[in-house]
Amino acid sequence: MTQDAILAKVEAILRDIFDDNTIVVTESTAAKDVAEWDSLNNIQIIIAIEKFYKIRFKTAEIQGWQNVGEMRDSILKYLGSK
Amino acid sequence: MLKLNDHFVRDFVVTEQVYSHFVEAFADRNSLHMDNAYAKNHGYEAKVMHGNILGGFLSYFVGEGLPVSNTIILEQSIRFRSAFYLNDTLTLSATLVELYESVSAYIFKFSFTRNKKTIASGRLQIGLLA
Repeated sequence: MTQDAILAKVEAILRDIFDDNTIVVTESTAAKDVAEWDSLNNIQIIIAIEKFYKIRFKTAEIQGWQNVGEMRDSILKYLGSK
Repeated sequence: MLKLNDHFVRDFVVTEQVYSHFVEAFADRNSLHMDNAYAKNHGYEAKVMHGNILGGFLSYFVGEGLPVSNTIILEQSIRFRSAFYLNDTLTLSATLVELYESVSAYIFKFSFTRNKKTIASGRLQIGLLA
């Protein structure tokens, strides 16, 4: 699983949840950059990612993410430890 | 705290009050819901209760029937399988099938039965507010 592939998957998840095919995700993308990315939608995003990759995050690490790049790094960490 | 496979069962009665308040609140006066003769002519036992009354029962279950507080419904789907009627006792059975501790989110599979026959089933995703 490459870093780009994870970003692409996160982008697809965001597009699906927000029903917006114009969303483009880079590693610097943050919640503030996507309209309607609030705490409730964040739950759906995390669930979709956990389901797809069959991983489980810790609450603290989610709260520490500043952008999608840091989310991707967490995903890579879990995939690497599988 | 909730855990996987937790199972909940609760009975709800479709009382005249539930029915009439639903009609008053949402004004769905379709003949199928208001007219016994009309409903019987279309193959039902009597006037058919509004399917979305079940949404109210689900709301009660989530808001008042779980051993946790600060609950919020995030998503729900429901498939209506059979009609139900005034004064029916409906049994809600719900099982916790997915758990996402990182975001305090829980997914239940549920069904409503009437005389042991499934009248509706679906999935319910809830969250716990911080």
